[in-house]
Amino acid sequence: MTKTALALGTSVLALGALAGGMAQADEWPTGPLTMVIGFNPGGSTDIQGRVLADVMEDHLGVPVNVTNQPGAGSAVAFTSLANLDDDGHTFLYGGLTALTFTPIIQDVEYEIDDFEYLAGLALGQNAIVTSAEQPFETFDEIIEYGQDNPMTYAQQTALDQAIIEAVAEEEGLDLSIVPTGGGAGMAPLVLGQEVDFAYSGGTHAQYTPTGEMVIAAFLSAERSPFYPDTPTLMELGYEYSIEDYRTIVVPAGIPDAAREGLIAAAEAASESERFIETTEENTFFPVVYMDQEEMEDTVRRVRAATEDVMGD
Amino acid sequence: MIGASIQEALTLNALIGIGGGVFMGYVIGVIPGLSRSVAIAIAIPLTFYMSPLIAISFLIGLSKGTAAGSAVSAILLNAPGEASSAATALDGYPLAKSGKPKTALQVGLVASVAGDIMATIILIFVAIPFARVALMFGPYEMAAILAFALVFIAGLSGGNIFKGLAAGGLGIILGTIGLDPQTGLPRLTFGYTQLMDGMPLIAVAIGTLALSEMFIQSEKLRYERETMAVKLEHRADDHITVPIMRRIMPTILRGTGIGTFVGALPGLGPSVGSWMSYGVAQKVSRTPEKFGKGEPQGIAASESADNAVIPAALIPLFGLGIPGNVSAALLVGAFAIHGITVGPLLLRDEPELLYSIFAGMIVASIFMLILGWFGLMIFAQITRVPPHVVIPIVIFFCLGGILLQGYGTFGLVILMGFALLGYLMKKYDYSFVTFLVAFIITPMLELNLRQSIILSRGEWSILLDRPIAVFFILCTLAALVILAQRTLQGSRQIETAPGE
Amino acid sequence: MQRQSFWSGLIVIAFALLALNWLIPEYAGVNPQAQMPPELVPNLAAWLMLISGIIIVLRGIVGMVRAGQLPLTREINPRAVAWAAWPFAYVGVAIIVLDSFKLTHAGGPLILGMLLLLGERRWYVLLGCSVVPVILLYGLSVHLMRVGVI
Repeated sequence: MTKTALALGTSVLALGALAGGMAQADEWPTGPLTMVIGFNPGGSTDIQGRVLADVMEDHLGVPVNVTNQPGAGSAVAFTSLANLDDDGHTFLYGGLTALTFTPIIQDVEYEIDDFEYLAGLALGQNAIVTSAEQPFETFDEIIEYGQDNPMTYAQQTALDQAIIEAVAEEEGLDLSIVPTGGGAGMAPLVLGQEVDFAYSGGTHAQYTPTGEMVIAAFLSAERSPFYPDTPTLMELGYEYSIEDYRTIVVPAGIPDAAREGLIAAAEAASESERFIETTEENTFFPVVYMDQEEMEDTVRRVRAATEDVMGD
Repeated sequence: MIGASIQEALTLNALIGIGGGVFMGYVIGVIPGLSRSVAIAIAIPLTFYMSPLIAISFLIGLSKGTAAGSAVSAILLNAPGEASSAATALDGYPLAKSGKPKTALQVGLVASVAGDIMATIILIFVAIPFARVALMFGPYEMAAILAFALVFIAGLSGGNIFKGLAAGGLGIILGTIGLDPQTGLPRLTFGYTQLMDGMPLIAVAIGTLALSEMFIQSEKLRYERETMAVKLEHRADDHITVPIMRRIMPTILRGTGIGTFVGALPGLGPSVGSWMSYGVAQKVSRTPEKFGKGEPQGIAASESADNAVIPAALIPLFGLGIPGNVSAALLVGAFAIHGITVGPLLLRDEPELLYSIFAGMIVASIFMLILGWFGLMIFAQITRVPPHVVIPIVIFFCLGGILLQGYGTFGLVILMGFALLGYLMKKYDYSFVTFLVAFIITPMLELNLRQSIILSRGEWSILLDRPIAVFFILCTLAALVILAQRTLQGSRQIETAPGE
Repeated sequence: MQRQSFWSGLIVIAFALLALNWLIPEYAGVNPQAQMPPELVPNLAAWLMLISGIIIVLRGIVGMVRAGQLPLTREINPRAVAWAAWPFAYVGVAIIVLDSFKLTHAGGPLILGMLLLLGERRWYVLLGCSVVPVILLYGLSVHLMRVGVI
């Protein structure tokens, strides 16, 4: 029995010595950060997010782990982010249509004010794409073909689904819409011609250079600098456009130290050679930097504008 | 490009990852009672912080190492570290007891490494064309193939297809927990925000595979106490010779063939492969009476097939994205953690990574040979670690793995629940392999099913244009009928046997 | 064997009925777009469990009748049951302890306690086995993974 007591005493001693190394509570970061991506691995958000995580890791000196929570155009990721009881170690990188649009048309368990928008880093590049093998190429040709044939469309977000449903109704298309987990799920469906056309949040950049995929129209307000010849939906006479920014989002009310640290890391990333190179040259997204104040305004402005359109 | 991929696999970090994986696998394989899936389940949290290539090489090295290591305890202790090495013990232990433990170990090692390398090469040459074909599969084909794989695994991994299907059903239900992929609304989360990302895979895997196994092992301690290992001594005539090599070579080739075939079919796993290979070797031998009394061919047959199964099980994984056994299913989870969707798309989108993984697998085989050859004495010592010391430490690391992932007390409670479930499933012979594979592939199955239903607009006639999907649907039905019949007839034989 | 099939089959049926009648209708949620209801896949799986469970129970009953067994005759050895159950209880208690202590603090004594219960009495084994894994885990969590003390 004395032997046992001795062993117990020694291990308690050893543990006491180990406990000395514990971190202070008011420091940030006290551990690795988690970056949430609301789409499948392999899509454009994921590709940019992983480089961003890498760059932030160098800046902050702690690991930044990327986790994918695909589903419902990021609504899945926002729902779990809103419910997070966290001290600023988890943030999301991605577009905001799940906030500026989705809550208007369906029940979700979060609202704009549940989050803070720390920095906008890239301008959204939403597009309608189709396979190069299809008998149609431009958006007008898709519509024309669809007036005689039933069509299939792969959605990724509630917003693109709503837009395409509205277009289909105007033009009298017989359209069925399938969900995908993100660009990486969309691409095989389009390239395998399982669907006739699809929404792409940016993944098209991987497939247009090889000529496998063609962009029928952009959903953004202005043409993409990377595809100057492709028209926008607005130019084609439809009153819909998506204004979106790939943004760093955190649950509202994180500690000040965490907020400042993340903003500084984001700002550094927006100037980092590696992030700019990947974002602009591999995914064809223009890098921007919008600070928190500007982003908070933008989110609410876009939301209000969308509500106006939907109210009609 | 392939040259660059091979270089990638030969960087120092990658080599450390692979070597570390093989070494850890060897040690765990040698310890009786710690199996491959226990090793992978506990190691997944470790890989979280490695780069994808190193993590995957580490895990593959780990599973290869356990297969080679389990032969050591089978030969020296007559207690296989892994069920798949049970056939090895039949001849390995008698040979070791007759004063030639080193010969037995070396025969086992040579057979393991040879089987492993050959099967890896077959994997490389089969998986790539497979993936090319599979790239043309759409949602109908994928949904049909997934359903077929599930029925097949349910029928073959346990023996009783109804118990397998019940386990698979539970896996599917648990796999649908989380936020609905189409609407983002919670489904079956019972109001727990922690369940919104779904049941945490790490807790499910560590609970059903590792922790439950520790409970079973500790229960066994009541009935079995320490066994004595055969000691390794330096004897001049105790080593593998050229005539022995020549004798076992044909056996190894045959064993590799059987192992590769069995491994490529979902649900069968290494035990079936090694027993089948042992049986065939005995049947074709001119001296079948020597089997079971220390015949090197017996060791070679069992070990070559056992090791060939591991790379072969990756054929459906890389070719179709379907995990055929528990280790492959856990690899899917590990790949997902690193942002890689395993399957045919890997070949198109990240061929460099795929070739690097293949190169890493060959490197792992070579490490296995070196470690096994020069480390025999050390590994022989590890067989003397008593199981009752291992159990508390493994339990400690199970708890640690959950906490490392930040799941907290909630994760621990879930872990405990799954440990209990795994314990009951193992006790009552419900296939936990089916359960785990079903759990992991459910999101994929559901998405493909959903897409099929929407794209077809509910018209069955669309299947007429889909011969491959129809083929797999028919296969699913045929497998269901045949395997159910097999289970029902099997029971009659048992009932007519005296006793029970 | 037949008895085990019978009882485990009953558990499967009970769970499947619970899922079909309460868990899934209550918690599966709704999909307003209704292209594929969210309860479809869980429901199919629950039906699969129910049908399999019924077959398992029926086969168990048939087997027991043929062998002339009753569902509950086997004597239960309380010592064996206790021996199988205590590790569960031990880990259960450990989880309660870990709710308020870090694993790297409470882990050593927890390993030690289990080793003692399993009959280990050599002091050097006890010491080594309870200190080395804790140090490993501490090094792993703080220095290698940098997740902090767990």
